[in-house]
Formats: sequence, C-alpha cells, structure tokens
Amino acid sequence: MSTGTQRVLGELLAVGRLQAFAVSAKGFAFDPRTGQSFSINETGVRTLELLVETGDVARAVERLAADCEVPAEVVEGAVTAFVHQLGRYLA
Amino acid sequence: MTARRAWEPPFIQPHRHDVSPFGRRGVDDDIQGAIAGVDIETLIDRWGSPLFVASEGRLRENVRRIREAFASRYPDVVHGWSYKTNYLGAICRILHQEGSWAEVVSAFEYEKARALGVPGPRILFNGPHKPRAILERASAEGARLHVDHLDELATIESIARDRGTVIPVTLRLNFDTGHTEPWSRFGFNIESGQAYEAAVRVKASPHLVLTGLHSHIGTFILEPRAYGEQVRRMAGFMAELEGEGHDAITSLDIGGGLPSRNALQGIYLPPEQAVPSIDSYAVAVCGALERAFADRPRERWPTLIFESGRAVVDDAVSLVASVVGTKRLPDGRRAVVLDAGVNSMLTALWYDHPVRLTRPVPGAPEETVLYGPLCMNIDVMRRQVRLPPLAVGDRLVFNPAGAYNNTQWMQFIEYRPAVALVGEDGGHSLIRAAETLEDVCRPERMPAHLQTGDGTR
Ligand SMILES: Cc1ncc(COP(=O)(O)O)c(C=O)c1O
Repeated sequence: MSTGTQRVLGELLAVGRLQAFAVSAKGFAFDPRTGQSFSINETGVRTLELLVETGDVARAVERLAADCEVPAEVVEGAVTAFVHQLGRYLA
Repeated sequence: MTARRAWEPPFIQPHRHDVSPFGRRGVDDDIQGAIAGVDIETLIDRWGSPLFVASEGRLRENVRRIREAFASRYPDVVHGWSYKTNYLGAICRILHQEGSWAEVVSAFEYEKARALGVPGPRILFNGPHKPRAILERASAEGARLHVDHLDELATIESIARDRGTVIPVTLRLNFDTGHTEPWSRFGFNIESGQAYEAAVRVKASPHLVLTGLHSHIGTFILEPRAYGEQVRRMAGFMAELEGEGHDAITSLDIGGGLPSRNALQGIYLPPEQAVPSIDSYAVAVCGALERAFADRPRERWPTLIFESGRAVVDDAVSLVASVVGTKRLPDGRRAVVLDAGVNSMLTALWYDHPVRLTRPVPGAPEETVLYGPLCMNIDVMRRQVRLPPLAVGDRLVFNPAGAYNNTQWMQFIEYRPAVALVGEDGGHSLIRAAETLEDVCRPERMPAHLQTGDGTR
C-alpha cells in the first residue's frame, strides 16, 4: 500500500471530511461543506464505511477482499483509485 | 454486499449541475414489464431485439382526445394525419379509420395515401416539391393542393388550362407570430406582401380559385398563444382578401406542431411540467377563431384543419432495446452499449427520451451513458441517465418513440428493426418485418463485368 494513499485518507479523516459526508444506502451522497452531491456505487458505499471505521487503507482492502471474494491485489488497486478520487472531490 | 452481481470497483461520481434536479435524471417511474398489457419478453421472443412496439389502443385514444379538444370548441374540425411523422401502413390505416384525412408532402407520400385507399378529396398535399406528374394526378383526383411557391402555382394553372377546368388551391402562408422562430422558407410571406401578390395572381386566373389558407408555424411549440396569434393573422389576411372581392375562403389549416410528452434536450423541466395540455392549445385556437368570426354567420365560418403529427403518435410507440455490453469510461462514468442507436431512433439526437427498465435490477443507480451499436461518436441514446448496474441482456424501453423514427430511421450499418402492434384485444402482430440482407440489397444491380468472382480473386 502506497504511503501516499494512506496520507490522503489520513488528511480527510483528520479534518472530519469523510465523517461529515452524508451517504444514503442508495448511494446518494452529499458534501455539506460545498453542497455538491454525488452518486456512489454499492462497493463505494461499503468502502467508505470501512475507511471511516478502520482509518486504514490496508485494513479496508483486506476486509473488502474477504467480503467480495475478490483477490486483494485487485481490490487494492481499486481502493487506491477511490481514495484519490475522494481526495480530489472533497479537498 | 447483498445482491451483488459481479465485483465492481468502488466509485464516486459528482453530480453535474446542468442536470435538472427534477425527474429527468431518474429511470422514469422505474419499471415497465409490459406494453399495452403484453409482456415485453413475449414480444422480443417473437420478433427479436431491438423492437418497436405500437399500441393501437393508445393511438386511437390520442387521436380521439386531440380531435375532441378542438371539435368540442369549434363547429367544423378536420384532422389531417401528417404522414411524415409515421407512415407505416397500419398506423395510417388506424388513423384513417378514426376519421383523419392524410397530410402528405411528396409524390411518394401521396401515392402511399392513395394506395391505402384515402380518396383524393381527403388528402392535403403540402410540400415544396410536387412534380407536374403528381400535380396532374392529385388535381384530377380532387386532392387539396397547398401551394408553396409561384412556380408551383404556374404549373397548376397550366394543368387547369390544358384541361379547360378550374382548380381550387390553398396558399401556404408564413409570418412572424412573435412567439416562435418563423419558418419563412415555406409558402408565401404575409409581411412582405408576397402572400397578397399570390392571392392576386390566383384571382386573376380563370383557371384557379383560392379556397383555403394554410400555415405551419413550427414544431414542438410550447406556447399555446403562438397558435392564437397564428389564427388571428390568418383570419386577418382572409378578411383582407374577402374585403377586396376575392372568393370566399372555406378552410383555415393551422398545420401541426403540438408537442408530445417528450423531453427536448436543453429544457430542464420534465415533460409533465414543460408541455402544456392539448386543451390549452385548443382553447387558444378556437378562442381566436371565435373572436375573428364573431360577426359572421356560422355557415360562413371556415373549416378548421389541423395536421398534428407527433402529439398523436409519439407515446403510442415504444422502442425496446437490449444491453449488449457495459464499460467504464476513462472519466469514470458508467456506459452501456445497446443494440439500437440513432440509426433506429434518430430523435435521440434532440430528445432525452424517457427510458425504463423492464424488471428491477439490484445495485446502486449511477449516471450512465447509453450508446447505440454504430461505430460513430454521435450514436448516443441518452447522454446521462441514472441507472443501476446493467448486464448483457437487460432491456430498456424508450417511450415516446413513435414520431419521426419509423420514417427517418436509417439503414446504416445495421438492419432496421421490426415493428409490432399490440391490438386493443391484447393480440399482437407484426406491422413491419425486421430488414434482411435481401431487403437491403434488392435495389442493387451488379454490372455484367463484375458478376463473376467471389472476392478471393
Ligand atoms: C406542413 C406540416 N404539417 C404538419 C406537420 C407535423 O408536425 P408535428 O409532428 O410537429 O405535429 C409538419 C411537420 O414538420 C409539417 O411540415
């Protein structure tokens, strides 16, 4: 796991951005700071939960890989891209 | 992760702010498993995908309701079915059974109307290109000739002179209603005096008589007052001519242009909010007629003709298409490839056709692009619609799809699909077969020197 990805997550969590992000089970998300709304797919909703819960990219990848029965390397690449997306949209 | 179809990477997509916050983005009302009570899978099993499906009940209901909107407010009303909107024989036959005349704009459409059994006097012949041969036939059969330009008027006059008869004509007019972009390329302009000149030419000829005025102010007109103004201008012109001793005008034809419940691109309100009711148009038209003719006896009120196309047929026909592939675009958007594109539904170029799934699909909805099967960048059925993750074989129903598709569709790359009709009794039949290689190649000829050889040299 690249330290860059963990750093992005760390910064988002440190300022409370991910915690404040309102996400419905249907995948409608709202950023109260900017008023921007988003669609998040099902895997995205679950990933977000795991990222907030664990605060750790590697542990979130592990749990997601187990849940979805997909090799960890596949999940890792996808979660890395997702965290960077979050970093971009919520910065 | 319940109801998971396949691993999908986590993904987040910001909503674009140029998309309406109203209904437009959703899969409208979500699920539609049947058309006019017939299960869509049954229809696809029988005739394949993609498939256009027309509802006879809806078509009859539409034309009755629209005609009644006018006929309940004005004593003498005729609907002319605009052939170009959808000239499949079965569609035209249904509308003629309902009492609609034929509105045609070319030799082909005229011949088609006659082949379907429409008598000449019930054909309104518009269009800027009417070769002499078809004018000879149409005038001999008593069709109503709507004249577009002076050269056409001269041809009609010469036909009448040769025959030693008098041919009645209608002049097509154009003018600025102040509400819509004027369609000034058709007919004779009122403001510039051309229309008046044309009327004078008709009056001066012993072989012509002016009996009607026509105008078509445009299409998908969202402002009922545009029609009120149209009628006011036409009635004013009529009164001017009558005041100068021209023969009585016996019909005013207001053309087509009433909108259907479709979603024009760039209009952010959903059709239920953007499109006024047909009654509001009828009120504008008939109110203006009543004001214009208040001081003449009823028997001298002209026949009101209207040529509504899309409002009659659009929502009576659906297009069912199937997913043949899915992908994630580089910018992250989800995309779906369908077996029908703008080759079958050309109107996707200017409408965001409402689209529904035929059954519930699990998974979070996301903004999705719907592509057709062509290898062309413009082949987009919807630029953005919120859909759950689709898989190969899932079906989508586009409705309204009945106006200008079964006429403007292209045999480009793909075969044109079949069209089925669901009858009022729930029975279903084919009204146009899917094209075959033989259909497409039938008009081709192979020159003698190319007739041998199989392509392998
Ligand atoms: C002369 C004329 N009449 C009727 C129509 C039908 O129009 P709509 O389908 O908008 O009702 C058209 C369409 O262009 C037309 O040109």
